[in-house]
Amino acid sequence: MKLKKNSNYLILFLLLLTLLIVGCSSENTSSSSDVSKGGSTTEASGGTIKVAYPTQPQSLDPHATTAEATRDAAKLIYEALVTLDSNYEVMPQLAESYEVSEDRKTVTFKLREGIKFHNGNDMTVADVIASMEKWGTNKAELGEHTWNEIDAANVKLTLTEPSSLIMYFLADQGNIAAIMPKDIVASAGATGVEEYIGTGPFEFVDWKQDEVIHFKKFEEYQPDTDEANGLGGKKEALVDAIDWHFVADSSTRVNGLMSGQYHFSHMLSYDSIPQLENSKGSVVDVWPYGLEGLVFNKKSGVFTDVKLRQAVNYALDMEVIMSSAFTSDEFYTLESSLFLPNQTAWYTDAGKENYNQKDLEKAKKLLKETGYKGEEVVILTSRDYEHHYNAAVATQQQLEELGMKTKLDVYDWPTLLERRNDPEAYDIFYTGFSTTSTPNQFVFLDSETAWPGWTENAEIDRLLSEIKVEENPEKSLSLTAELHSVMWEDLPIINTGHNSRVSGHSEKIEGYKTMLGPIFWNVSLKE
Amino acid sequence: MKAYILKRLLSIIPVLLIVAVIVFFIIHLIPGDPASVILGEEATPEDVQTLREELGLNLPIYEQFIHWFAGIFQGDFGNSIYMNMPVLEAFVSHIGPTLSLALLAQSISIIIAIPLGVIAAKRRGTNVDQLFMIIAMLGLSIPSFLLALLLMLIFGVNLQWLPVAGYSPVSTGLWSHLQFMILPAISLGAIQAAVISRMSRSSMIDILSMNYIKTAKAKGVKDRVVVYKHALRNAFIPILTILGETFGSLITGAVVTETVFNLPGIGQLVINAIVRRDYAVIQGTILLIAFSYLLLNLIIDLLYGLVDPRIRLSRK
Repeated sequence: MKLKKNSNYLILFLLLLTLLIVGCSSENTSSSSDVSKGGSTTEASGGTIKVAYPTQPQSLDPHATTAEATRDAAKLIYEALVTLDSNYEVMPQLAESYEVSEDRKTVTFKLREGIKFHNGNDMTVADVIASMEKWGTNKAELGEHTWNEIDAANVKLTLTEPSSLIMYFLADQGNIAAIMPKDIVASAGATGVEEYIGTGPFEFVDWKQDEVIHFKKFEEYQPDTDEANGLGGKKEALVDAIDWHFVADSSTRVNGLMSGQYHFSHMLSYDSIPQLENSKGSVVDVWPYGLEGLVFNKKSGVFTDVKLRQAVNYALDMEVIMSSAFTSDEFYTLESSLFLPNQTAWYTDAGKENYNQKDLEKAKKLLKETGYKGEEVVILTSRDYEHHYNAAVATQQQLEELGMKTKLDVYDWPTLLERRNDPEAYDIFYTGFSTTSTPNQFVFLDSETAWPGWTENAEIDRLLSEIKVEENPEKSLSLTAELHSVMWEDLPIINTGHNSRVSGHSEKIEGYKTMLGPIFWNVSLKE
Repeated sequence: MKAYILKRLLSIIPVLLIVAVIVFFIIHLIPGDPASVILGEEATPEDVQTLREELGLNLPIYEQFIHWFAGIFQGDFGNSIYMNMPVLEAFVSHIGPTLSLALLAQSISIIIAIPLGVIAAKRRGTNVDQLFMIIAMLGLSIPSFLLALLLMLIFGVNLQWLPVAGYSPVSTGLWSHLQFMILPAISLGAIQAAVISRMSRSSMIDILSMNYIKTAKAKGVKDRVVVYKHALRNAFIPILTILGETFGSLITGAVVTETVFNLPGIGQLVINAIVRRDYAVIQGTILLIAFSYLLLNLIIDLLYGLVDPRIRLSRK
């Protein structure tokens, strides 16, 4: 019959198409593990590293924003007085050394000599002071403070209140205290500086909006003499240039990596990993991100009652939530502490008896005691971040099992950011918190910052201010342990666990490391 | 004729006015604001408020509207908060890829579709006709992003004949420009071809059954002349309409294709602006797109006159 004949053509056509796809795919190889080890620097290789990055920042000025997209690119061109080593401890960068006074109200910095800006000028004390003053505006952890010149190579920071954590704040990576030329600082607008001039191993060339930023090697860069360690130490630009492309679609980032068009693709979806592992020439990087947090609205609504928060905490099965959000235990750890185990100065497992109880009976009993009358619990989430969305959905199911009435409010991310500020708009939202150096740098703990969720716990505030001035590291650690216990009792947020993100790089890339984002100094290109 | 064109141009103005008002108020009534997007996740509410004030976002909405609207008459569409450049500049710098994509995709679809439709119409009812229409159905059904990713996978990743994504302007070399545009153009053009071929076929079938066609054949006019000179020209009006519509939708930004292939075109510009709540860019771009679309409609209407003398004469 005529019709049968035509469907034969169709089947043949589809078969050919399938054969074409399958027959042309690359051979299988065993998957390679992520980050290369060893600290020795390789020879300069030249070449241009092509990076595929998901979102474009508004500005490269790290003073102006906490956005990751800014931080990851700004790292290439800016440096600060101090930075973090691989254990999230402070190490000097543009300062050769520093000294904290006995009363912990003053820090004296000796600046390194011969540091040049990308515009050829020398870095002077005046530049340092101007940059630090701009960076320090509206920083609650610093309080009232002043920067003063001691002489051409030394500068002093004076605080009105003593602080044991000041060096950590100055090394903060959320808002890098980048040193810039004085006149550029002076002409900065509301959303940041107009020109990007720093001291880093790469310099800014140009920026085609929504397309690419071009960076090139800074020939007169003065590397530190200390061995490379975390974000500090000896940094060398071993390639001639970096093309920082903005590629919004994650499939395109994966495909571009596999085809060799990009040498590095940032933030890949978890389900693209099998595809990458099977393709020749690509290496998967799994890098620790921080914690996944369920934030309660403690200002208005049902969760003003701590018992209800505790009921939720008893009910939740963290394994289910984390695996829904991050797919495989390669990418998450069930960890109650706010810190990583290798952050030995702060890591504590205090409070872990309250973590991941998954005791539904106990939770239901507690729910009854609170007198919960079936009020609707609104969970605010967004599909713009699939892991937050999946965590929210998993949580919703478990809350329903607990006996709570729930509603999932799904918006796009900017809308979510706005609704988070309205205490009448939600009861729970999910978000991620990057690893930081100190407990005081988490935005959800203290009552003064008034971050969404509105934590108001006098005990936590007290502990934070004690940690801030505590001299003895052992005492700081025990205070942090106490803080964790209080946190797991009072539950301003629920830390559902630690998680990692995935990026990928070509096998042609050598020396790649990652810490709070990709690191492209000390990286060379094989040809 | 001139009076007709002038009348049409003037009638664009009230439409644009309405578009301007609607777009402005919808965008501003949607929750979310650029300040929190700019400052990032962990910014304090205080910082966000400060930036809002500095950007003038806390002024009453009517004041903001009047300020923006007045600017338009002076050719000032405002500045992009996010990109630190005038909106007009952003639009002009992004139109290149979209224009190129639209022209290439449209050309591909015309080259495929019209012959396909004509042949199918001529051989109506035969295997050839059915095969072509099945292919057209496939083209209609496949989502553009799926075709895009398939093409990318085959030609970019596996065969490595073409780059996976990205863009190179014509000014840096025609061949490199085409290399980046071929896959996106095919993924859009193939699907448009499906629509156009079906329209061509049905329009041609109508015409081919007309009496004057039978007369021409009876008079001994060659088949090819009958089909391509007499029939096609008469069948062209509905085809032209479809061409105008598809080109219009291409110009207004093939957002998905531009995102997948990472083309910095108008579609990407609008999407990024919406995600970032870059108000001036969203408003200005939508207004300019509306204007382009209306202009395109005018051109198509004038082309009708070119193709069909009866329309041309009735206008006088």
